[in-house]
Amino acid sequence: MSRIETPADLARLRDQAVARRNSRGTWVAVCAGTGCRAYGAEALAESLEKEVEKRGLGKKIGVRKTGCHGFCERGPLVVVQPSDVCYLGAQPKNVPAIVDKLEGKDAALDKLLYVDAENGKPLARLDEIPFYKHQQRVVLGDNVHIDASDILDYIAVGGYAALAKALSGMTPEEVLQEVKEAKLRGRGGGGFPAGRKWETTRKAPGEPKYVIVNADEGDPGAYMDRSILEGNPHGVLEGLILGAYAIGAGEGFIYVRQEYPLAREHAQKALDQAREYGLLGENILGSGFSFDVKIHRGAGAFVSGESSALMSAIEGHVGEPRPKYIHTSEKGVWGKPSCLNNVETWANVPHIINRGAEWFTGMGTEGSKGTKIFSLVGKVNNTGLVEVPMGITLRDIIFKIGGGVPGGKKFKAVQTGGPSGGVIPESMLDLPVDFDELTRVGSMMGSGGMIVMDENTCMVDTARYYMSFLAHESCGKCVPCREGTRQMLRILDRIVAGEGKEEDLAVLEELGDFMEDASLCALGQSAPFPVLSTLKYFRGEYEEHIREKRCRAGVCTPLIAYDIDQETCGKCGACLRACPVAAVDQSADKVFTILQEKCIKCGACFTACPEKFSAVIKVPAYAIGKPSAGNPPPAGKQV
Amino acid sequence: MNTRKPVAGEQPAEGPLDVLIIDGEEAFAAACRRTLEHAGFRVATSGTAGQGLALAETRHPGVVLLALELPDMPGAEALGALSRQAPAAVPVVASAHGTVDAAVESMKLGAFDFLAKPVGAEKLVETVRRGLNLSVLRKEAAGPGAAGAQAPDKYDLLLQGLDVLGEAYSLGLEKRQLLDELTWLENEAKYHAESLGQIKKKERVILDIRNDLLESDVIMRRYDFHKNALIQVLLDVQEKFRWLPRHVLNWISGRLNIPVRDIYTIAHFYEAFSLEPRGRHIVQVCTGTACHVRGASELLTRISATLGVKPGETDARQAFTLETVHCIGCCALAPVVQIDSRYHRNPSKSQFEKIIQSLEKEEVDTCPA
Ligand SMILES: Cc1cc2nc3c(=O)[nH]c(=O)nc-3n(C[C@H](O)[C@H](O)[C@H](O)COP(=O)(O)O)c2cc1C
Repeated sequence: MSRIETPADLARLRDQAVARRNSRGTWVAVCAGTGCRAYGAEALAESLEKEVEKRGLGKKIGVRKTGCHGFCERGPLVVVQPSDVCYLGAQPKNVPAIVDKLEGKDAALDKLLYVDAENGKPLARLDEIPFYKHQQRVVLGDNVHIDASDILDYIAVGGYAALAKALSGMTPEEVLQEVKEAKLRGRGGGGFPAGRKWETTRKAPGEPKYVIVNADEGDPGAYMDRSILEGNPHGVLEGLILGAYAIGAGEGFIYVRQEYPLAREHAQKALDQAREYGLLGENILGSGFSFDVKIHRGAGAFVSGESSALMSAIEGHVGEPRPKYIHTSEKGVWGKPSCLNNVETWANVPHIINRGAEWFTGMGTEGSKGTKIFSLVGKVNNTGLVEVPMGITLRDIIFKIGGGVPGGKKFKAVQTGGPSGGVIPESMLDLPVDFDELTRVGSMMGSGGMIVMDENTCMVDTARYYMSFLAHESCGKCVPCREGTRQMLRILDRIVAGEGKEEDLAVLEELGDFMEDASLCALGQSAPFPVLSTLKYFRGEYEEHIREKRCRAGVCTPLIAYDIDQETCGKCGACLRACPVAAVDQSADKVFTILQEKCIKCGACFTACPEKFSAVIKVPAYAIGKPSAGNPPPAGKQV
Repeated sequence: MNTRKPVAGEQPAEGPLDVLIIDGEEAFAAACRRTLEHAGFRVATSGTAGQGLALAETRHPGVVLLALELPDMPGAEALGALSRQAPAAVPVVASAHGTVDAAVESMKLGAFDFLAKPVGAEKLVETVRRGLNLSVLRKEAAGPGAAGAQAPDKYDLLLQGLDVLGEAYSLGLEKRQLLDELTWLENEAKYHAESLGQIKKKERVILDIRNDLLESDVIMRRYDFHKNALIQVLLDVQEKFRWLPRHVLNWISGRLNIPVRDIYTIAHFYEAFSLEPRGRHIVQVCTGTACHVRGASELLTRISATLGVKPGETDARQAFTLETVHCIGCCALAPVVQIDSRYHRNPSKSQFEKIIQSLEKEEVDTCPA
């Protein structure tokens, strides 16, 4: 291996890398993202390698551990290339059959194939599976094809071509212009035009200038940034180098949260390799442009993902935001011009430079171009990462790609934008997904968390959940946010405990308006959104909690109690065994009852009770002890 | 410590030893040796006090792991003989009768530490490592040529006095004055033994602290003792010690020239830091949004009740710390709990108990004997 000095060197290296890949006719890509690792993907990959070796097929078949493929619900995922046949939920015990199949023998692998929900037919190829079929994978596309810890893999699929193109044939101004024309908007939340931000930093006086990757990903329920950085770190790095070139920055940072050890490891490896090959450091590709990057670990604080707070953390201080009369793009890290963009934003840049702004603006809506990655989670069949063109409807994402709500339950709402976003009710499912549309209905794009909620999700509890997160994460520097989140949480705590007052709702709205206007940073300014949007679309649920002391979803524990329906009870004792606090009593004649004073409402008995009996039920707390006294009848398992 | 790793089962025939194990219980001695060799120490074993003491004299072990129950000599006697014949060796006593009395007695007789059998591998290695540190200090203090006799300290004199008095007493010289003398000396001896024990304890604590500070220096060196790297340094300290010990924070404050107050501000601000010791296993219940809507609070209540600790707390045995975490990015497994580096999807009470038990069993399995 030697340093790449010129674009021609890079082309030669690419030829070698491609030849190396082509030396094997078949590749088995095993997803080794964090999600699939949790299912045991590493053991699977190892056993595949062993089996291939054992049968002497090592020259024909290669096994590659790749980044996240996205279809996390059905992991561990295996894709055979070039046929793109997809095996879902593969286990080491399936390995001999998989290798049989690769050898061209007959093997019963139908169980590992995706089955079409409508006609029961197996769908073998990746692009036939509805989850993938309706996506447009630009940023995530390479994840299936490359081993993140090998720069040659990235180079083989065209990596660093954009960098070579820019450094050898474009001025920094031209790179900047291309990104501006692509109308790329920041993927980290606000949707600020990336080109404009770059230009500000470029023009701002002061040296050196910095470029920074925001991989803090604080939105609980979103993991696309992690999957990009884990699965394709060179893609992010190439974007960052291009940005640095356009802006005139000499140094960069990748700010990655400490909870993502694998992402950090892969990013570090990518930096080391890029440096080794001369793609980072002095005089990159002989262009005279020099640039290097360091990794900074975030220590776990949501607010530290905010730009000024993040920069303060890089300086080694507490990650608190500061007032932004002057933007960080002009005065950021150590008072120098600093351009911060989200992981996904940077990862889009090489594609834009490679294929041009026109190609990019061909995707999406008027105001939002390109694709967006969402982490589609919650009460949805196909949990996973989906990349779709802007402008696709929420309904398509949730039902076509996500396969709808599991267990025949009724869809209630979808939450986007994380703790700064809001809920969107069913009536608005045909809304096209784009920055401005989502904001218009009281939510926001956010970083891409998309949490599906069904009839068993309580909207008041959801609002309370976000508020407790925000009250905990508020740094306390400004009063509106610190006190506002606390007071809102107190009120919501009261409501879910059945002690809400009629006037609480008005107070919540008033507090919310005030915080939106008066808070120092976007955390406080957007903190009321989850409450305000649930109030707007699901006011009835709030009123039920306050007036009737009832939680229709059966979630708010103070308002519910568990009871055993003696008529359907199969006397199997599953509830008794499942209870961690011995709150299930068994009398001599095998009558099981729940001792309410001991019960901690953990739901263990409810989950343990076999479906065929469904005898453990949730009832309104006030109904306990007098079930026949004219109160609403106990609801069954489908509360 | 020697760099060459001895082949398992082979007794290093010559040269200085790190550890000498004197124990008649063969299986225990063998298991300890394996563990210690695995940790890179040179180890020899002996089944009897006679052979062991001879080895101690010729091979200068840093630490002697001595059983109280020996076939040819009472343990207390062996301990005494050891401190006379190999004064630089640091004795660590192991006994199956792990009573407080036995422990106190051995400490009084000069043992550096007392281990109750069975002994956990981690504990064993850690104790030996500390003992070796002390033995280095002792050898340093003794200086070149001073390897032999140590000046008898006041405590020894007292013991000798007791001996003489005891002899007189047994000869029937039952005089009132003699008795008073005896009681006085007894009390004096007890008093000194206790303070000696305390000094030893302090000595150990100081050694531990010194080690911690050395470790934190290693960490700070990675960042060239740069002030700006404070958060990175603290993250490494947290990873190394599983919490941020106070003495380490004070040390860092001095080294990096940052007010302690600022360090505490940061330690309090970020989730990653813990100002209290954490358990050997970390149970993290994910409370990300996806997990929340799929029942994370119920899971948390259940796990908390099963472990008997609240979120943020560690159990009394320092085995398990229960925590909540905002999204570990395994939303497909929601609700999910991460135990050490493993992920588990919504475990029921019995499944969770099984996991906990298997972790505890693993700990026991790695213990010799
Ligand atoms: C409280 C708070 C938390 C944030 N967390 C993140 C985050 O985790 N990741 C991220 O990319 N942006 C986050 N942002 C947005 C950043 O401030 C910033 O706008 C963004 O990183 C800019 O990149 P972009 O223009 O590419 O979106 C956060 C903002 C606020 C107010």
